[in-house]
Amino acid sequence: MTKQEILNELKKVIAPYTTNKEMLAGIDDNTDLIKDLKINSANLVDIIIDAEAKYDIEIDYDSADKMVNVGTCIDVISEKIKEKNEQHG
Amino acid sequence: MNSTGNDIVSLNAIDITRTKQQRFYSKILAVSESILYNQYQTDITFENFVWLLWSIKESAYKFLQRNKPGLVFSPTKCIVTQLEIPAESQIMNPSIFVLEGIGFDKHPAFKSIVTVGLEALYSRSIVNSDFIFSVVSRDNNFESTGWGIKRIDDTDSNSQSAEVRSFLLEKLQNEFPLHRLQINKNSDDCPILVNGAEEINIPVSLAHHDHWVAYSYQLDSVSSL
Repeated sequence: MTKQEILNELKKVIAPYTTNKEMLAGIDDNTDLIKDLKINSANLVDIIIDAEAKYDIEIDYDSADKMVNVGTCIDVISEKIKEKNEQHG
Repeated sequence: MNSTGNDIVSLNAIDITRTKQQRFYSKILAVSESILYNQYQTDITFENFVWLLWSIKESAYKFLQRNKPGLVFSPTKCIVTQLEIPAESQIMNPSIFVLEGIGFDKHPAFKSIVTVGLEALYSRSIVNSDFIFSVVSRDNNFESTGWGIKRIDDTDSNSQSAEVRSFLLEKLQNEFPLHRLQINKNSDDCPILVNGAEEINIPVSLAHHDHWVAYSYQLDSVSSL
């Protein structure tokens, strides 16, 4: 998947957990999930679980800790998709 | 350095089915904490246990992050090593709308020790059928810890932010009537209390979730006023 494809799908994963739809439409790498999108920290685990299901990947603890903004979310998801493809390769 | 950290979880906003799924709670609980639950399973439901520990961990993170701005919140690395459940854990009337206090002598509270690396902190938590509220301190007596919980009508983030600020300011303005208090955020996104243009050395912490907002502050440095 390209970075843009992951971004488009990531928006759908995040959408249920933010009321800031205007900000969501224009997110970029630097958009912070809590500070900018006003996502409650209690929903961060939901986003990780939903991303795992969406991409059929497993996000380990250390990788999950990095997922604080859109850019790091895309990096982690890209990395896990690549690992999955190499394993099934 | 002095600090405070608190968190509130609205129990009406959690997904109980999802909370009980191993792939969910394993991202919050350390293995030792899953074992810890076996000691308390007759006193607290598993979903409340998971969110109780989440709120303690989030509070500990906020406490430490004030003095370590780059700290990453890693729930499974904040470990609750001891937990003490009050004899009457459900004693509070679930229909309360506002609750405030200094310390927890008058309120039945869960007590815990939470470790983050080499740091050991203490927590108190109030649990009822509506919410789980936690606050963390470096001292185990909490006699200088002010806290408050309030139900609000609107759940949008702007309302939550405004409500929790006015709730805390109303409390502190009564304590310090000669000051013109405001709550700002510093460059590390931590809430700070200011009098006019000057920061006051009273750490404050804000939390909100769904229809609930909560604050804590630590008065050890009150002499600085």
